[in-house]
Amino acid sequence: MAPLFSQWLSSPAPGSARRALARIYLSLALAVTTCTTSVIAADAKSEKQFNETIKPLLQEYCYECHGDGMDKGKVTFDEFGSHDALMDDRKLWLSVLKHVRSDIMPPEKKPRPTTEQKAVLENWIKHDVFALNEADPDPGRVTVRRLNRVEYRNTIRDLMGIEYDTQSEFPPDDTGHGFDNISDVLTISPMLLEKYLEAAKVIVDRAVPVVPKVVPENKIPGEQFARVGETVDDKKSGSLSLSYYEATTVSNNFKVTIPGKYSVVLNFSANERFVDNMFDYNKSEFIFTVDGEELHKQTYVRQGGKSFQFVFDREWQTGDHPITLQVRPLTPDEKQIRSLSFRVEGVTLRGPYDEKHWVRPARYERFFTRETPEQPAEREAYASELLRDFANKAFRRPVDDKTVERLAGLAESIYTQPGKTFEAGIAKAMTAVLASPRFLFREESLAQEPPDARYPYVDEYALATRLSYFLWASMPDYELFRLAREGKLRAELKPQVERMMKDWKADAFIRNFVGQWLHARDIESVIINARAVLAREDKPDPEAEKLRARFRELRNKPEASLTAEEKAEFEKIRGSFGRMFRAPRADLTYDLRFAMRRETEMHFEYVVQQNRSLLELLSSDYTFLNEKLAKHYGMTNVMGDNMRLVNLPAGSPRGGLLTQGTVLAVTSNPTRTSPVKRGLFILENVLGTPPPPPPPDIPALEEAAKENKEKLSLRETLELHRGKPLCSSCHNRMDPLGLAFENFNAMGMWREAEGDEAVDVAGKLISGESFTKVQELKEILVNERRHDFYHCLTEKMLTYALGRGLEYYDLDTVDGLVARLEKDGGHASTLIMGVIESVPFQKSRRLQTAQNNNNGSPQPAQRRAELKVKP
Amino acid sequence: MKKTNHSLNLNRRNFLRGLGACLALPAFESVSPLLKAHAATGAGLATTATGAPLRTAFLYFPNGAIPAAWWPEGGEKDFKLGRTLEPLNAYRDQLQVLGGLDHSNADPGPDGGGDHARGNSTFLTGVRLNKSATDLRAGISIDQAIAREVGHLTRFPSLELTCDAIRKNGACDSGYSCAYQYNVSWSSPTTPMTPEANPRLVFERLFGTGNPGERASNLKRRQQEQRSILDFVLDDAQQMQQRLSSQDQGKLDQYLTGVREIETRIQKAERFGDIKDPNIVTPTGIPQVYSEHMDLMVDMLVLAFQTDSTRVATLLLAHDGSNRSFDEIGIAEGHHDLSHHQNRADWIEKVTQIDVWYAQQFAKFLQKLRDTKDVDGNSLLHNSMIVYGGGNADGNRHTHDNLPVILAGGGGGGLTPGRFVKHGGQPMTNMFLSLADRMGARSMDRFGDSTGRLSNV
Repeated sequence: MAPLFSQWLSSPAPGSARRALARIYLSLALAVTTCTTSVIAADAKSEKQFNETIKPLLQEYCYECHGDGMDKGKVTFDEFGSHDALMDDRKLWLSVLKHVRSDIMPPEKKPRPTTEQKAVLENWIKHDVFALNEADPDPGRVTVRRLNRVEYRNTIRDLMGIEYDTQSEFPPDDTGHGFDNISDVLTISPMLLEKYLEAAKVIVDRAVPVVPKVVPENKIPGEQFARVGETVDDKKSGSLSLSYYEATTVSNNFKVTIPGKYSVVLNFSANERFVDNMFDYNKSEFIFTVDGEELHKQTYVRQGGKSFQFVFDREWQTGDHPITLQVRPLTPDEKQIRSLSFRVEGVTLRGPYDEKHWVRPARYERFFTRETPEQPAEREAYASELLRDFANKAFRRPVDDKTVERLAGLAESIYTQPGKTFEAGIAKAMTAVLASPRFLFREESLAQEPPDARYPYVDEYALATRLSYFLWASMPDYELFRLAREGKLRAELKPQVERMMKDWKADAFIRNFVGQWLHARDIESVIINARAVLAREDKPDPEAEKLRARFRELRNKPEASLTAEEKAEFEKIRGSFGRMFRAPRADLTYDLRFAMRRETEMHFEYVVQQNRSLLELLSSDYTFLNEKLAKHYGMTNVMGDNMRLVNLPAGSPRGGLLTQGTVLAVTSNPTRTSPVKRGLFILENVLGTPPPPPPPDIPALEEAAKENKEKLSLRETLELHRGKPLCSSCHNRMDPLGLAFENFNAMGMWREAEGDEAVDVAGKLISGESFTKVQELKEILVNERRHDFYHCLTEKMLTYALGRGLEYYDLDTVDGLVARLEKDGGHASTLIMGVIESVPFQKSRRLQTAQNNNNGSPQPAQRRAELKVKP
Repeated sequence: MKKTNHSLNLNRRNFLRGLGACLALPAFESVSPLLKAHAATGAGLATTATGAPLRTAFLYFPNGAIPAAWWPEGGEKDFKLGRTLEPLNAYRDQLQVLGGLDHSNADPGPDGGGDHARGNSTFLTGVRLNKSATDLRAGISIDQAIAREVGHLTRFPSLELTCDAIRKNGACDSGYSCAYQYNVSWSSPTTPMTPEANPRLVFERLFGTGNPGERASNLKRRQQEQRSILDFVLDDAQQMQQRLSSQDQGKLDQYLTGVREIETRIQKAERFGDIKDPNIVTPTGIPQVYSEHMDLMVDMLVLAFQTDSTRVATLLLAHDGSNRSFDEIGIAEGHHDLSHHQNRADWIEKVTQIDVWYAQQFAKFLQKLRDTKDVDGNSLLHNSMIVYGGGNADGNRHTHDNLPVILAGGGGGGLTPGRFVKHGGQPMTNMFLSLADRMGARSMDRFGDSTGRLSNV
């Protein structure tokens, strides 16, 4: 029932439910307090303090709307059944704290408390209502966390050395507080468990070799075949495209050092670029030559992307063996329509086949450390050794001997079977490890020292794991494990975090955090209808409108009932629509969406990796573009597909995440911008002050818009909407923010007008600041509202790092981090390091297990009583 | 080492026995006498009077339906389907349009906004959801309640499918966890039954991987391999349970429930013999076109029923609040945006077209069921009870009374289709209980907010 930060403005439970709750708390409090008279005295003292210092403040600044019979927004301060009931409504007081801090309450036109008075109120809420103890804050506790599908994939990559596509094999994870790593909502359905078992099997089959030796294999990638006189970069490993229309000969040379039996495997496909209703009748001959001998010669027409593989056996002597691919066009006069081509993946050379030349299979050394011993006892010891090491890594902490014994037993039950290898047995045990709950869940232990700590540190292994999943979304690496084993990680935290942030794996933090915080991931799937969006910007054309209406009318009639004239008219209109059906002048193509996502990620990455001020996330004189995206934004000075930092001209409306394509598009409707969604987005994700959800009966309120006969602009409709008292309190906050971005259409393109009406973006925030253009709004956000932004970003990052929603007892942690940001100018590292060093990241409540019932978190009433008894 | 394995097996059995009690799974041994008893009276457990399997499926469509276009005109038998349900006219004699069924627990009440989240997860549970982004508490859904009692009869106790593959980032509806909005099926108040969106994965789960003809043996081999793995992980889970807090136990219980279900399926594989391979090529992934995706998912449902792989299923066509646009029928705007139509005629028209479109897709499902012959010579449709409905009535106003819902199929003769029945303001859950009764799941006195049973189905 504890209040959630991101919901902090939702209206409190109505009177009756609240009072019922209060009664429960009261009876709980009574049950505890009857034992000691000092508690009763403390209660009396608390009430006196409230009456003397807090109540007068509330009376002066709040009662006009929230007391003396007024209950605006269903909030009243003077209708609690008892003092205890008042003290226990944490949701209300957290909401008061947030409202007052961000100048939402009291509203701008009313008298507002002084800074000192605000401090008194804040202090009372923190220390008396929430009973926060700054000396030893409550770290809270995270429910045992299962790997989400991103973490699973990365962990498999680092543990097994292969990619497993969890995106298509596993169902999406449920999210909470906007993130997909929140332990409470990461559930396991029977179907998911089935998938985990299946995945364990498939992954081990693909990654772990089950034979000690295989025939050697060398692949010459398509790109390593060169034309005569051409030199090729030996790092290139892609396929080679050869046109049907061009005579080409490319070759490579294979050096044989051991004579014997080999096979040569040729892999290629025949592709074409599709052109609607047009065919390409070109033909071409493909010739494959080895040692000057034509092994394959065939004529190809269009093949629709079909793949071909040919295998040839060779008896080879030591020395050079030239391999040549040749394309010979056969139809020089035929028109080229579909751009037909061969895509040569490469030539693979297997051999020598003689067993004495066999080699270790791929990844063998990753899982097996030496030659498999012959003696059963030694084998068993070797198996135990391998499996202990593997399970330590997979479970992210040292495993007990019993587990190792069971794993070795499982392996033995396989490799002692006739025809089964030792490796196959190890693979089987590894499958069991990957299916175990100890792999799928991140189990944590607490540090032993000091033994009497009320809130102990998590142990070094748990810390390593928290760090690696926060910054890499994957398992700890060798270095982190080593430090944890030596008990030195906590002492070397800072250099380790720096090292981790420099690692390429930190991309996962950038992508997952920013992708979810700013919904940047959604850009790849958001539905935007370019034609409809652009049509709104075109000057209205009444003639075309009329034609379209007539066209729809005729189309809806059954064809049989149309007269000859009507049919002719229908065809005529259809013909005139030619231009309408042409591709729109701009569209969110895949390339563009990808560039947008990269722009947001690169911007965040730049601020984080260069340790710039976090305020540059909102306002900067640079952004990240390639040619396509720059053009989309109306800029012409960027060339090529490469995304890079681009300095913006002075006064540019771009710069900062809020005017990037990602945010602008994901906050739009399919056919138009949505100032309400954009405003809400900023309140939720930048200012951290989301409004309560809309009332359930919205349409009734929109009757107003309907009564108005003439066609209203979006701004006018919103104004009308805000005129209604019930709407105004929230829409006054959302709309001005959202309307400030009206110069950007639903695809993030700049526009001066919608239809024939110039866009008007001027507005005033509920907190009082005015602006005339989006650049000024950004300035307000990074100056006057800077504190709100720091708060919001801190809450988001802490939520992501901890994997749980924030609670009232996290208030001091967040405030402390924000204070550090304020002090040092908002450097990114201050926040990231601060989150890692924070109490909830470092510590945990004690576990409440079957054996151990010392809970670190007493019931609310108990807790308060307990603290109050203290001298 | 062989000895170790042996003791592991014993361990597992003991553990499962202990587990059975706390997870309240169906008691296996008591099933067959029950089946015999029902067979004797002709009314079996998920069995029709003729001895064929009786199935039930629940299909959910989002954002309500324009009421004026949804409701038929006329009386109980001489009704005329309205514009939205017109595509179902060919099956008029095999369905009932149910009026006057409500979900008052989806009303705002003290919880305020969030009608889409509530509409979605109240629909099959009939309970009031805990309004929280993380603290999930719904109720068991009717499909799962039925599956608990009849699930042992088939290889899969139930099947959960969805046509919603992509999730949006950020918060979901008004402070409700996204889990409420993307799941209709719940096996317990805290465990949503994550639905599968990929037709290939559904197919492989049902019939195994590989080419036609190889699948049964692939599946069998896979299951055999799984046994020793299950032994190991159960032991691990048991140890882990000792170390975890009570808060974490719930998570581990979910894990164990899954293990238990696979165990059961392996046992069943021995009892039921080989899987009926439909001998078709495994479908590929999720098609780009929404209607094709739905076609495939519906095909999977028909296959599952036809092969008697399960008798209980849910299919979420799209989550409530879905803002999908319908390019296929020339509607560029989002469904949810349009559904708040402010009484603008053009918007109402578009929403109606979307409602009709969904009904057309549903009609295709009914056609397939009708055209597929069951073991007793009747159609699958005759031997099924298919609920098609949504948790919002008027999407514009977010109402949850007089919900749009259709009950298709003959229930193996247990239902009286071909009617438009106005039930006059009863909980939707009353209808669910009536279906559960017909499925032979008679142990429930109440379900969700039920007040009784529908007298007239």
